[in-house]
Amino acid sequence: MTATATTNGATGRTADSGVPVVAFTDVNKSYGAVHAVAGLSLELHPGETVALLGPNGAGKSTALDLLLGLKNADRGSVRVFGATPAQAIAAGQVGAMLQSGGLMEEVTVRELVGLACDLHPKAYPVDQVLAAAGITDFASRLVDKLSGGQEQRVRFALATAGANDLIVLDEPTVGMDVGARQAFWATMRGQVDQGRTVLFATHYLEEADAVADRVLVMNRGRLIADGTAAEIKARAGARRITFDLEGPIDEAALRALPHLVGLEVTGPTVRIRSDDADATTHAVYGLGLYPRNLEVAGLGLEQAFLALTEGAGASAGEQTAAGTGDDKAGKR
Amino acid sequence: MNTLVKLEILRTLRNRKFMFFSVLYPGVLFLIVTAGAGKDKKLGGSDLTLVAYYMVAMAAFGAMTAVLMGNAERIAREREKGWVRQLRLTALPGRGYVTAKIASAATVSLPSIVIVLVLGAAVKGVRLDAWQWAAILVSIWAGSMVFAALGVAIGYVATADVARPLSMLCYFVLAMLGGLWIPFTTFPGWLRTLAGYLPGRAYAALGQTIEFGNAPHAKDIAVLVVYLVLFAGTAAWLYRKDTRKA
Repeated sequence: MTATATTNGATGRTADSGVPVVAFTDVNKSYGAVHAVAGLSLELHPGETVALLGPNGAGKSTALDLLLGLKNADRGSVRVFGATPAQAIAAGQVGAMLQSGGLMEEVTVRELVGLACDLHPKAYPVDQVLAAAGITDFASRLVDKLSGGQEQRVRFALATAGANDLIVLDEPTVGMDVGARQAFWATMRGQVDQGRTVLFATHYLEEADAVADRVLVMNRGRLIADGTAAEIKARAGARRITFDLEGPIDEAALRALPHLVGLEVTGPTVRIRSDDADATTHAVYGLGLYPRNLEVAGLGLEQAFLALTEGAGASAGEQTAAGTGDDKAGKR
Repeated sequence: MNTLVKLEILRTLRNRKFMFFSVLYPGVLFLIVTAGAGKDKKLGGSDLTLVAYYMVAMAAFGAMTAVLMGNAERIAREREKGWVRQLRLTALPGRGYVTAKIASAATVSLPSIVIVLVLGAAVKGVRLDAWQWAAILVSIWAGSMVFAALGVAIGYVATADVARPLSMLCYFVLAMLGGLWIPFTTFPGWLRTLAGYLPGRAYAALGQTIEFGNAPHAKDIAVLVVYLVLFAGTAAWLYRKDTRKA
């Protein structure tokens, strides 16, 4: 709206300008004794589709609130297109869909979307926004009378009422059935294809795996992993090697195996997480052991995520293992 | 921003229950308060009838109640539901939100004032010059916006549970000290001085001065304008600064 904001908008959209879409620098936010976000630093770049993962209470929603200027950081800086979140929003660069954003009541869907279009500095025509969100059918219904899934689509329409450069979605498909979820991501891909940067927090790991080209994992207010879904899986020990051994088991020797990320021994059964299963298995034979019932299986992103977040919280040994090769996880 | 103003007015009109009670309440109150008063009974030491005095007082008090209570509670509830968070993700400036809320409150207060004045003329036989009727209507209506702004600010400070008692407290104190219930002339001197700088008194004085055939005092108008700017400014600031979970 202002001259400065427009300048930022111009630079923000050129992909190689070097200005990150979002830049968190050592951001801290506490509620009393709880450090919701602790020393968070990250950058998002134009055109990326980024998934933000983490267990409940990991600080995802707080991080998004800070990004959107709904909360202020205690320490550190949050920049969006090189400006403050409020400036970026006023310039119409950011569209956001909140987890439980209430809607204005006693108005129709069309009236509400019309309001979002009216308020957006770079708005699309109302009919186009309604059609893109797939809500034209019930556009004349009152907002108070919508189902949960319909409300969610209306929120999506509000987030995409204009030509935003960044779209932020907090748990966008919560409460949607499988069909609605697929339709939602099909719509989102349309946005991504137009060169938008998309950041979404989710509990559905298969969504992150299928949609995102970059995955951030938060736990206890910190970023513990940052990479492609494949990298995250590898980092967590993407393969699980299971076998039985006879006689006494020398745990120390097993722990020294190459590429080992996690080790668990229950009775005769040994479970190893490895980021290079071939090399690890080879070394097992190299120790002169004779593993029986050997199985090597790939881990999904879900198991990788669990391994990462449990490792960061529980045992110190696991924590360093999960942090190996991850420059961000080691920083405290 | 104009769309928001339009929508806020529209949804107020659609909320029939809210409209019904807010619009009729001042009129009913006026009939109850003046039920025992004779039509010709004069206010102590003046030409004005007691009924005429209460007509203006109740029109003002009723309009003030409707906008203060209505705004405070509705806004606190909207904040709790998260609509205000969503709205803050748009380019809407703080003053846009406050303007829309005041406009929707004014939609309620105008008919409520008209009803009291019509009842006064038709049922209670109050006789005033044409310009006085018009001036009383306009000044009470315009003045009610000060309390609408106060309502927005309260809706921002309080949770939905606290908004109602807090706005009740505000209007009791302001209405009482404004002489809307007990004639201002019965107050001791020090209280009159204090009340003179509160919005309730200045608001009541607008209509009453006109009733006595005079133009409203510049001081009363100034007091109201100062409070309007103060309340609306606070509300707009709170809208933008609201970083609580709400």
